[in-house]
Amino acid sequence: MHLRTLNRALVVTAGIAILGCGRGTQPANEATPAAGTSAPAAAPAAEPVTEYARPAKPSKQYRIGISIPHLANPHYVGQAYGYIDEAQQLGAQVTLLEAGGYEHLDKQISQVEDLIASKVDAIILAAISGPGTVAVVEQAAAAGIPVINVNVMTDSDKVVTRIRSDDDVIGRMQADFMGERLKNGGNVVMLRGAPGTSWAEIRGNAFRKQLADKYPSVKVLGEQYSQSTPADGLRLMEDFLQTYPQISGVYNGADSTAVGAAQAVKSAGKAGSIVMTATDFQIDTEKFIRDGVISASVLQQPVTMGRWGVRAAVSYLEKKSVPPVMFTGLMTATKDNLDKLDLTTVRAPAGWTPPVR
Amino acid sequence: MPAIIVALAIVFGSINPNFWSVTNLANVSRQVSILALLSLGQTFAILSGGIDLSVGSLLALVSVVCAQVMREFGLVEGIAAGVTAGGVAGLVSGLIIARARVPAFIATLGMLVAARGAALTLSGGLPIAGLPREFLVLGAGYIGPFPIPTVVAVVAFLLAHVILSRTRFGRYVYAMGSNEEAAVLSGINVAKYKMLVYVASGLFAGVAGVILTARVISGQPTLGEVQELYSIAAVVIGGGRISGGVGGIGTTLMGVLVLGILGNGLNLVQVSSYIQNIVIGAIIVGAVYVDLARERRQ
Repeated sequence: MHLRTLNRALVVTAGIAILGCGRGTQPANEATPAAGTSAPAAAPAAEPVTEYARPAKPSKQYRIGISIPHLANPHYVGQAYGYIDEAQQLGAQVTLLEAGGYEHLDKQISQVEDLIASKVDAIILAAISGPGTVAVVEQAAAAGIPVINVNVMTDSDKVVTRIRSDDDVIGRMQADFMGERLKNGGNVVMLRGAPGTSWAEIRGNAFRKQLADKYPSVKVLGEQYSQSTPADGLRLMEDFLQTYPQISGVYNGADSTAVGAAQAVKSAGKAGSIVMTATDFQIDTEKFIRDGVISASVLQQPVTMGRWGVRAAVSYLEKKSVPPVMFTGLMTATKDNLDKLDLTTVRAPAGWTPPVR
Repeated sequence: MPAIIVALAIVFGSINPNFWSVTNLANVSRQVSILALLSLGQTFAILSGGIDLSVGSLLALVSVVCAQVMREFGLVEGIAAGVTAGGVAGLVSGLIIARARVPAFIATLGMLVAARGAALTLSGGLPIAGLPREFLVLGAGYIGPFPIPTVVAVVAFLLAHVILSRTRFGRYVYAMGSNEEAAVLSGINVAKYKMLVYVASGLFAGVAGVILTARVISGQPTLGEVQELYSIAAVVIGGGRISGGVGGIGTTLMGVLVLGILGNGLNLVQVSSYIQNIVIGAIIVGAVYVDLARERRQ
């Protein structure tokens, strides 16, 4: 009976597995040098690359394993679309795994170990924890499998390349927007996002520093880390509003907390009188900007991140040099420019759902 | 149950031959070692007629304590502090259950919530990095062809087996789980041995937490979510009775292997992680149903 259940599950997924199974096990006889040695020989302190074109389609069908924190956020759905669409363009086969949330580090580690065991040609990793994924990345490197960090970084120099937004700039852009709006002084609280992730750290620190340097009359009253979900944002913001009735600004490291926080601000009858900034652009964020609850959001380009991740993996496997750091672009959405933004690099096409979760 | 394990292995192996590779077998055994250690503690708790819902949260508390002490005082001190933290938390649960007579379900539910809170408080919610590199060996190293976490889990299984089958404590665990009143009437100091059960469970969680911390070379306050439920599942899938008295190390080992092979195998044959949960849920219930049906027939 168990077996029958299991077989049915297998058949179901076989139907939706991407690009079929093909010859699953071409040996990865790339004579791959231990990852990390791939950086271009020249230019020791190379400037981060901000454009990265698609390489020529390789003759070989590479197998790329991808592990991302979760798919509960449209940001990662957009990224998943980028991975899968780009893999199709480059004839690569993708295994996309999601760990079910930033609290499941152990699960992500098991997933990456399973990718290593199934001898994929390359691994793309959006890390749940910077320090927490070091060991498994080094394990992959030791097995000759290159690891590409996308979006959230591992604290290891064994990765081939780091593709992300310039999180420092995201923090500063929010600080500048906040500072200009609160010229005559203000009191800000921060919803930083998932503890231990590179983005929550860098963005939040940059926001604080920029405020302190350029807008000293804007004070940070408090900050909280949480899982990146609307429920957490709602809860924390309700509590902040109780603790500090004088709040005039809210920073959000991610828009998943922002849509919850916006709900709290709206319920408290303070929509529009509190300046709210966020990162990213899920549908609810767009709606809250249109309604004037969220004032501005800095848009990352998750689709581009996904595309560049696959490009970097294929380029590396084709023995082309891969720049060690790449920054995907940013834009700011406000009520004024909402309908003029080009969202093809931000969101998956409407109605698209990831085939393998 | 062994037949199911073999069948699973054959199915996964035929779909993805890498399932049988040495790397992957080492992989599976390393991945299940944490669950194995937690399930051992859970076996003591359930056999004795209780339950320990706190083991998942204890992983987080142990991880944070271990990392903080290690960063301050050194490798050995950190490991010792981690295991001790597990034992102390178990002792607290045990005292509440045995002396204050709070039902185990409630006492350990309280510990589940409180231990997570303590882990978040001690760490400020942030991961604790900067641990010595040598510590990584405990999570990623090998003794011969065997991953160290696997070796630790195997030693723990042997130890638990000896305790349950060869010692007075072991016999009393079964006695309390079969019929607590009878155990009291036959002069067993039930309070004392109940307390020891939860200390044991806490110590196993302590060892598991230290190894998991080594695997992620950092203290992580969010580790171990829902692991307590998997440890309970491991105990009952193999044939342990949820109300106590029936089961043992052998049945728990079966349960751990089924869950471990399923998790790894479904990843290797690329079944979506959402569907994996459905499969695992069905197998938990199905296995216990088959077991009960067989029992009724006899």
